[in-house]
Amino acid sequence: MLEYIIIFGTISGLIYALIALGFTLVYGISGMANLTHGVFFVIGAYLYGVFSSYLSQLISPTFFYLIPVFAMISSFVLTGIIGSVFYRVTLHQILGDEVGILIASICGCIIFQQLIYIIMGTTAAFSFRIELLVPGKITLMNTDVLAGQSLAALISLLAFIVLSVFISKTKTGRAMKALSQDLEAAMLVGISTEKLYMFTTAISAGLASLAGILYTSTITEGVTSYMWMLGLAISFTVVILGGLGSIKGSLVGGLILGFTGTAAIKILPEAGVLQQSIPFIVIILVLIIRPKGLFGKRVEME
Amino acid sequence: MPINTFAKYFRKVYTNFATHIYDVPPRMLAFLILIIFTIVPYAGIEPRRLDILTSANLMAILAVSWDLLVGRTGLISLGHALFYGVGAYSSAILFKYFQWPIWVTIPLSLIAGVGMALIIGTPCLRMKGPYLALVTMAFPIAIVGFLYYFRDIFGGEVGIQRLPRVFTIPPFSLNERYVANYYLSLVLLALSSIIIYKIATSKTGIVFVSILDDELGSKACGINVTKYKLMSFAISGLFGSLAGSLYAHMLGGSATPRYFYDNTALIPIENSIVPIIVTILGGIGTIYGPIIGTYIYFLLNRYVFENLIQIDPHIQLLVFISIVVLLVVKWPRGIARTIVEKLEDLEEPREIEEIEKEKTKKVEKG
Repeated sequence: MLEYIIIFGTISGLIYALIALGFTLVYGISGMANLTHGVFFVIGAYLYGVFSSYLSQLISPTFFYLIPVFAMISSFVLTGIIGSVFYRVTLHQILGDEVGILIASICGCIIFQQLIYIIMGTTAAFSFRIELLVPGKITLMNTDVLAGQSLAALISLLAFIVLSVFISKTKTGRAMKALSQDLEAAMLVGISTEKLYMFTTAISAGLASLAGILYTSTITEGVTSYMWMLGLAISFTVVILGGLGSIKGSLVGGLILGFTGTAAIKILPEAGVLQQSIPFIVIILVLIIRPKGLFGKRVEME
Repeated sequence: MPINTFAKYFRKVYTNFATHIYDVPPRMLAFLILIIFTIVPYAGIEPRRLDILTSANLMAILAVSWDLLVGRTGLISLGHALFYGVGAYSSAILFKYFQWPIWVTIPLSLIAGVGMALIIGTPCLRMKGPYLALVTMAFPIAIVGFLYYFRDIFGGEVGIQRLPRVFTIPPFSLNERYVANYYLSLVLLALSSIIIYKIATSKTGIVFVSILDDELGSKACGINVTKYKLMSFAISGLFGSLAGSLYAHMLGGSATPRYFYDNTALIPIENSIVPIIVTILGGIGTIYGPIIGTYIYFLLNRYVFENLIQIDPHIQLLVFISIVVLLVVKWPRGIARTIVEKLEDLEEPREIEEIEKEKTKKVEKG
């Protein structure tokens, strides 16, 4: 029982954390709550499906393990481009206007949802089965885990490590950090905010697409165009648990959500209908107790 | 010179229009529009089609209440369907368990709406911007889970069916019921928008705007921000739940989770998104804007796109949402507001400034 909760809570928690990572990155750097994050989660999963079915015709079956890798990379890049273009065309024009950004970005979610529906149709297709890549089971702490699920968790952990190394070691990453600490000073040193915001949005959208691919590989039902609500809900919850704008916080928040979700379903199986509401209920409870999130910064006076 | 005479004639007509029609005070104009809408049922529209206008009127009430909360007070709400659903469910439950008549349950559902607004408003007082948006969006979806969980009370996915309709008493035939529904919704829209407009232009409304402009500043001026924010939530919840319970008893005939959040609809959060669309179309922060926006939306959506040019509903929605994004980015003042402001600017720009000065003086005194 406890082992089950620990193992599956960690796996789902790492994936939840990855879903929220891009959202918190953008908020930390530009102070903008880009709600379109939820829809890039879905776009990523769909693009992965398209690319993998296309690549399976090109690549010979002996190198089948190359298909998901290439499809994942191309989905990451393409979603990133879509995300930064959408940001540049709409949200960048109204950067200071908080209400405008919230409305425009939620409308952006619906635009992409409708585009996906119109292009792809009703079929809830493309569920990437990561088990095909690494078949079999692993026994961890007397619990059987699918090897694919643990691979998905490992990939999301890897994404976290790569991102934190990128931010602390490279020049662009340090510029991003500087921008989040002091906007005016960063501009004074010669950092181009416009380019960097676009780049951050691109990375955030790419991370969302990666999260979408991994999340859909661990669930049984396929992807649908309105799943952006779920992606958005999970990233909200994680970010609120961990505090908006902190990368470590989103890891902690994801793990908390993973443990509570797994425990709730294991302990109260008849509450399965409440499953879709769990993230929302957690959001409400946490925000009532601590309005800035568990690890968020304190309210600063203007 | 025929062109010259034509130009002269045109000029005469234009000056006539500019001096006489523009000078009609806004109240008269609103009254004229109301009269036009009163004649509508006798203008050869099939009675069954009146239901579209009825639902437009109810959506306009919801949109106006959203506008008071977001456009005037600056408390962003992405889940206004909450009040719509609370209104519908509370009157439905009162009917189911106590068998009370509609004229008792609908007013009581308003109290439930105010109560819900205070429940959601109290924790939201400490939040700002994105946090507030997240919580208001989360509330209706979380509530739908509870509706499914407490199946015995709320009826699960089916909801509470077979509610009494407003005009089912024998003297009304089916066709008369459509007309009566239309008139009731029109009267209630007029009443609630007048009440909200009066609130928005009163001293309280000016305090709301001051919270939107500068919360810290209005706090420093000695305004009890908490009280006014809760008041805005309560007024908004009252009219939102009015729209919801009326919809359940007029057109829906049932209270289902659909009012809050619908997994099968085009947009899962339809009742929360449509008020946003229509308010942006009309102009956020005005009270008349959402009403004009609602009529534009419903006429385009239900008459033009369904009958004249047949477009797939998914593409319709795409068109509307793209227009909204375009308006937010390029023309943030909305259609109706821009037109009205241009007209006012043409007329007497000084007077507006004077009115604003008087308003600020009032605030300073009070």
